[in-house]
Amino acid sequence: MNPSAPIMLESFPQAILHFDGDAFFTSVEQSLHPRYRNKPVVTGAERGIIACASYEAKKLGIKRGVALHEARRICPALIVLPSDYETYSMMSKRMFEIVRRWTPIVEEHSIDEGFADLTGMRRFHRCSYEQMGRDIQAAIGAELGLTVSIGISLSKGLAKLCSKFRKPNGFTAVRGRHIHLFLQRHALKEVWGFGKNTVAFLEKFGLRTAYDFIMQPEKWVAKNLTQTQVEIWHELRGKSIHPVSTEEKTDYATVSKCKTFTAPSADFDFVWAKLVRNLESAFIKLRRHRLKAKQLLVALRFRDYQQAGMEAELNRATSVPAEAIPLLREMFETLFKPGEEYRATMVSLGKISTDRREQLDLFEDRVRIEKLEASARAIDKIAEEFGKHKLTQGSALFLQRHPTTARDEQPWRKTHLLPGETTRQRINLPMFETR
Amino acid sequence: MPPALDIHGKVNALRIFFRKTGRPPTFREAMELFGYKSIASVQFALKRLEKLGYLQKGASGRIAFTNRISGDIRLLGSVSAGFPSPAEEETVDLLNLTDFLVRRREATYILKVDGDSMIDALIGPGDLLIVERGRTPKNGDIVVAAVDGDWTVKYFEKNGRSVRLVPANKKYNPIEPNQSLEIGGIVRAVIRKYGA
Repeated sequence: MNPSAPIMLESFPQAILHFDGDAFFTSVEQSLHPRYRNKPVVTGAERGIIACASYEAKKLGIKRGVALHEARRICPALIVLPSDYETYSMMSKRMFEIVRRWTPIVEEHSIDEGFADLTGMRRFHRCSYEQMGRDIQAAIGAELGLTVSIGISLSKGLAKLCSKFRKPNGFTAVRGRHIHLFLQRHALKEVWGFGKNTVAFLEKFGLRTAYDFIMQPEKWVAKNLTQTQVEIWHELRGKSIHPVSTEEKTDYATVSKCKTFTAPSADFDFVWAKLVRNLESAFIKLRRHRLKAKQLLVALRFRDYQQAGMEAELNRATSVPAEAIPLLREMFETLFKPGEEYRATMVSLGKISTDRREQLDLFEDRVRIEKLEASARAIDKIAEEFGKHKLTQGSALFLQRHPTTARDEQPWRKTHLLPGETTRQRINLPMFETR
Repeated sequence: MPPALDIHGKVNALRIFFRKTGRPPTFREAMELFGYKSIASVQFALKRLEKLGYLQKGASGRIAFTNRISGDIRLLGSVSAGFPSPAEEETVDLLNLTDFLVRRREATYILKVDGDSMIDALIGPGDLLIVERGRTPKNGDIVVAAVDGDWTVKYFEKNGRSVRLVPANKKYNPIEPNQSLEIGGIVRAVIRKYGA
């Protein structure tokens, strides 16, 4: 094969844009609180582990996932903020709204990244695809004070590789006739969707770069790899397999809730209460999306960040915590070791399906199930009126045993309420602080 | 018994899709929209919707909406029979307070005033400003700006190339930036709440 030979001669038979907010959470904080600009900032104060690190912090080697005490050791002047997901979500929605000015086909991939299908919009906007990307980047910068890295190419897989290529505030557009050059600069492990095993497997055949991979004949790929990987092969060759989907994401693979508590605790009832609270939160989210789960995963994190976990299957898919609690209790009693101190509990619900009315099993206690479901609906209604977790499992009483301290810090916005706002409801505009 | 076909849910999903994208879905999108795994089941649902008058066959067999979904005829609140309530019809075009105060929601922020330098413009400490970001201010606009790194709210005055930030309080002097000027936004409205 001749590495300088293009794999196609067209420039943009279709144009897919990927945008990725740079260090999104801390960038929002720096945008709304100018006093944090050009300083090392991290979020995640409430859980003891860094959720997001600003570029200034990253330069010092402080990254997502690092424990806070470790980060503070590296940089004593580090600004540590509790996460303010409400504000991050507002800014995220705005980012997608801005992109929708250029095309209605926008996919919200996660809170800080998305795809947009620009195909066919050149005449309408009277400019090139590259110019649209630049304009989107400029609008997000001017109106939100955030930088995004943008990639434009022929498929989602390629666009994602592009936006990662230059960061932060990067811009990379790769036309069809340049794909072959671009992919020669990417190792296999950088390809979206390739895990360690896939890479190791491909390397056995002497493949090193994404380019090596796409130069394999389709037959070989189809024979040796999975359908997903064949799709990646097509996407990297500039054929768009996965359309940009405008649907709100409701098909979660799993719904997880993990809460770290301030001081580690060895109190059986307290840790249990925390776990139940996570279960309730996970099911609230599930019900909001009209889903139910059949699988339950529990994990406990020890003081030293080691974890113990297990998973089990429920008798039937459900959206009601009470149905899962007997199993949860069994798992918890197996996992919990007296004398050990714990700092976090996690619940993850898997095997999720849509919650439709369906036939009940012959042996199921129909009346009981319907009662449980009715009680869950009532809990949701009460939550709407009075706030989450106002009506809960009785185990919640044990939560008061350990009052929250410094690390359960509230985000700035929740301590700066406007007249008429409550801790539960605030105005739907982000607040700018000019101190 | 198979679950009943949820017509209401599907119509709603189609309306939301139309509002978002301004067009009818393709078969594939309809499949995702309804949560089906096969084209046959989509076709079945679409046939029913066609029979009920929500859809029609468009050019080359594509899905096309009737105005029951795209709403060329304005949809007024549900009435069981007869004419829509006159109150409903009259209130459809009313602005809510947010839309009245906010021009471009994506670029709009709220800021609590600190200090009295704009008191003669009737902006006092504790007032809430509705600030729009990302626009170039005109002469006479009230702006939120950082002068040499310090944030302030002032009148924006441009004279040729030089810019002055002018307070609305005789106690303070106009500011001329020495090194840097950053416009944080333009003030579009002031809110003062009483008795809260």
